[in-house]
Amino acid sequence: MVYITSWDEFVERSVQLFRADPDSTRYVMKYRHCDGKLVLKVTDNRECLKYKTDQAQEAKKMEKLNNIFFTLMARGPEVDLSEVTGKEQTDAQPTKRGRGRKQ
Amino acid sequence: MVLLQLDPFLNELTSMFERSTEAGSVWVTLKRSSLKSKVVRNKMATAGEAIEYRCLIRATNGKKTISTSVGPKDHQRFQASYATILKAHMTSLKKRERKDKKKSSESDKREGTSKRPKKS
Repeated sequence: MVYITSWDEFVERSVQLFRADPDSTRYVMKYRHCDGKLVLKVTDNRECLKYKTDQAQEAKKMEKLNNIFFTLMARGPEVDLSEVTGKEQTDAQPTKRGRGRKQ
Repeated sequence: MVLLQLDPFLNELTSMFERSTEAGSVWVTLKRSSLKSKVVRNKMATAGEAIEYRCLIRATNGKKTISTSVGPKDHQRFQASYATILKAHMTSLKKRERKDKKKSSESDKREGTSKRPKKS
């Protein structure tokens, strides 16, 4: 299992992985309260990326990542991610319709 | 495996977290799925229909598994509730005391204690 040490690298690689194969990529989270540990895993059944932590601040970052994945998965991998804001830049499913908030 | 609606799923997830505080883990898996078989999907693709994808969310405590499916319309709402639940339950994670470059989880595992003079 590959444990990534940098959060940003983990995020970037997982998003890449998802975009490359949205149908088989999944994101797993395991939380153990008794040990105070959180482990995240993103895999497409060929490659696997993991991240573990016991820090409360990382939980906040994980929430952002959750949001990213929710958006990607529910709306389609072509959604343009601007992290927190502007998740509605492309519309619904993976069709090439863009609503375009830019002028 | 129990497939639930959004709100019952969230309630069950909450109780799962509460029950696992002393021992055990909670796993939550997120995957994109159209919830249709490959045959149907191929048919839809050839017919030119857009396949609607949903986000499949599964949660388990090792013994019991619950799941739900979230579409693009409810994903905002689910996201918010889900974040609240997680924030409320992930209380045993360490508060940040100092800027650690190393993963403190590794060193803590070996030490077995959280009090370790790491200041250099």
